[in-house]
Amino acid sequence: MERPSQGVQLLGSLLAAFAIAAVAVAIVTAKFGPTSSAERELQEERIEQREEAAEERRELREERLEQGR
Amino acid sequence: MEQLIDDLTRGNVTEVKVLLASVVLALAVYQLLLAAVAYGWIRLPFLSAAPASWVHRASGDTIVLLTVAVAAMCVGYYGFDFGDDGGTHAIVAVVLLGVLATKILVVRVGGQLGRLLPPLGVSVLVLLGVTWLTSAGDFLGIA
Repeated sequence: MERPSQGVQLLGSLLAAFAIAAVAVAIVTAKFGPTSSAERELQEERIEQREEAAEERRELREERLEQGR
Repeated sequence: MEQLIDDLTRGNVTEVKVLLASVVLALAVYQLLLAAVAYGWIRLPFLSAAPASWVHRASGDTIVLLTVAVAAMCVGYYGFDFGDDGGTHAIVAVVLLGVLATKILVVRVGGQLGRLLPPLGVSVLVLLGVTWLTSAGDFLGIA
């Protein structure tokens, strides 16, 4: 098998380094899952919004019940 | 310093540190293969010594930059902890930076000292592995 030119070897080796770095980033990011602070904050925000909406609904229901009496 | 690191990582200091350290470790393993080709210990049909050596240098420069960034984040945000929890990590990391600095010095000086490069390179890889295991590996539940 004939070796490719030095330029191609150089480019190929550099691309391999980039690919290795990209794979490492992908594996580690996948391992993090929803544990990153940004994701956690987003989840907490969503929970808070849901709780506030539920609270508003409860208050509305109570008001309606009082008006009905 | 703490606030700057927190702002740069948008509050994900540990995650960014673990990610960068993992990239460094992956590239360090690749470095070993490139060095083996450059020294002629391994002969590959598609890669000769000169390009392998050039990419080894380029990848090595990247590793140094990333390692210094991770170390700065680590010390700047968490400080030095030589206690029970971070003792091994802190000691191995300090030794790693020392060996890395020695390797860079040997590369710059060259000559007879060049014989020291293979053992220094292997030492850097082993120390990187231990530093990663005692911090990132712990965080990822591997160590």
